[in-house]
Amino acid sequence: MMFSKFTNRVVLAGLLGVATLLAQDAPLSSSSVSFDLPEDSPIAVMRADTGTSRQIARGAALVLDLNLSLTLRNISSNRIHGVTLRIVSQEVAMGGVGSVFQPGLNVGPGEAFPVHISTKLMRPMQMSGAPVLHVNLDGVLFQDLTFYGPDKLHSRRVMTASEMEAQRDRMALKRVLARGGNPALTDAIFKILARRQALPEVQGRIVRGRALTNAGLAAISPDRGRQEQFAFLRFPDGPIQLIRGSAEIAGSDARAPSIEVANLSDKAVKYVELGWVLTDNDGHSYMAGALPSSDPAFSLPARATATVRTANTLEFSTAGKPLSIQKVTGFVNQVEFADGKVWVPSRQNMDSNPLLLQVIEPSAEEERLANLYVMKGFPALIEELKKY
Amino acid sequence: MRHPNQAILALHAGGDLGPFRSWLTARHLARCADCREEVAGYTEMRELLPELAELPEISWNRMAAEIKANVRLGLEAGECVRTADMPLPRASMTGWRAAVAIASVVVMVGGCLMLERPAPQPVHVAAETSVESTQDGVQFQAGDDRAFGLMNGAQKAVYHLDAQGSMGSRYIDRETGAVTIATVSYDVQ
Repeated sequence: MMFSKFTNRVVLAGLLGVATLLAQDAPLSSSSVSFDLPEDSPIAVMRADTGTSRQIARGAALVLDLNLSLTLRNISSNRIHGVTLRIVSQEVAMGGVGSVFQPGLNVGPGEAFPVHISTKLMRPMQMSGAPVLHVNLDGVLFQDLTFYGPDKLHSRRVMTASEMEAQRDRMALKRVLARGGNPALTDAIFKILARRQALPEVQGRIVRGRALTNAGLAAISPDRGRQEQFAFLRFPDGPIQLIRGSAEIAGSDARAPSIEVANLSDKAVKYVELGWVLTDNDGHSYMAGALPSSDPAFSLPARATATVRTANTLEFSTAGKPLSIQKVTGFVNQVEFADGKVWVPSRQNMDSNPLLLQVIEPSAEEERLANLYVMKGFPALIEELKKY
Repeated sequence: MRHPNQAILALHAGGDLGPFRSWLTARHLARCADCREEVAGYTEMRELLPELAELPEISWNRMAAEIKANVRLGLEAGECVRTADMPLPRASMTGWRAAVAIASVVVMVGGCLMLERPAPQPVHVAAETSVESTQDGVQFQAGDDRAFGLMNGAQKAVYHLDAQGSMGSRYIDRETGAVTIATVSYDVQ
């Protein structure tokens, strides 16, 4: 009798365990995803497939492993050159908001195009039957650089800058084709592929809210780091001049970078993005990231100066080893004026700087066109360039 | 096998058991490696205790001397204020008086220990959040909690680190063949 009771308990515990496991990892049904597009949206969702998307319980959180295949249609009268979708599992949760931006689009009125969302988001666990994921439209960029959307993620600036880079790089390739014919264009594409292949890999980590006592700081870095001055790359036609800047460098950590900038133009600037390149002990350089002026209140009047800074700590490693930072170099990567116009470095600025050629990846458009060459051959590349 | 309890083993280690109990325990120890190990531990601890008493940082000796001096001072003060015809109190260290006295000594010793010990210094306050690019995508970590994978890893993805707290990944999507830029942020949008 005792043995029978014991067996029953074991079976019950096993069933409960299986039930718990099943509840922890479940497919994401189509009713769990809500597409919230405004009534006057220039795009419409034609098809949505949740595919192998899953929701996985991790303690008190739910991880959404998304693999959504969408087909969208341009229902406006303009050609669409970029779309950003905002993917929200929870508005006010860290790791609860993501986005997918598809640059390099050239979608005419009435035409359909695919978008694939492959990402992970977090949200607190909930028991109600409400959708766990909302897909919103953050913005659509048209051929004439006009924009539609709530722009919560600043996708207007991001897509405009990307479109300007695309126009710049298509123009450069067209010039190459005009001057040197097919062999010159092929050579240019090979150079893009080689640059992409040779790109030094660096892993970055952004740490927020790190608070160290003096004892903790000394334990991690006995010399407490050093204040390293930024070196600057200057672009003659740039609207922003970098005056001075520094970051506290301790081994592979760069803390609280700060750069003073001057607006050389006659227009007010509302956003400046500074690229920074790290050089290690062995003289290898890596593109570390961007220091944007993300403060919504940032404003740089014409001919004025301001400081771009962050309190965050950034850590870098390469091939699994911490990077020993010796030198930091900054350059202006992007500028947005108060009137919505965007400046990006010219092709000439980029090509005349060996350091940038070494560390900056090919633009999204260069990568798209090189991939087209690899997948569909030279005629497809020529056809694509002729479309613009 | 039935094992002697911890108290028996501790008393045995100090040679404080009666002859019969000691014989029984020794007999058990001859067959039980676990209990032998336990007794060896107690023996080691006994050997260590006199050394601990001499450790300069703890100042047990100074503390004991101060307590003794305070007790003597109290007794002498009592002698001074006591009148000759006052009847001597009965045995005073009994009942609630004993309890109060013991409690006072415990509080005093505890207080001394607290004052003697240096204040704990927080070495590293790890209430931080981070996002990190890895080969498998982007990893998000809040405080000391476990990390969560955000954004799936893609072949030949280029990661973009934004110093203000977001990370993006650019890749050729396998399904659509299109250049795709996915971004996650741990800022509340």
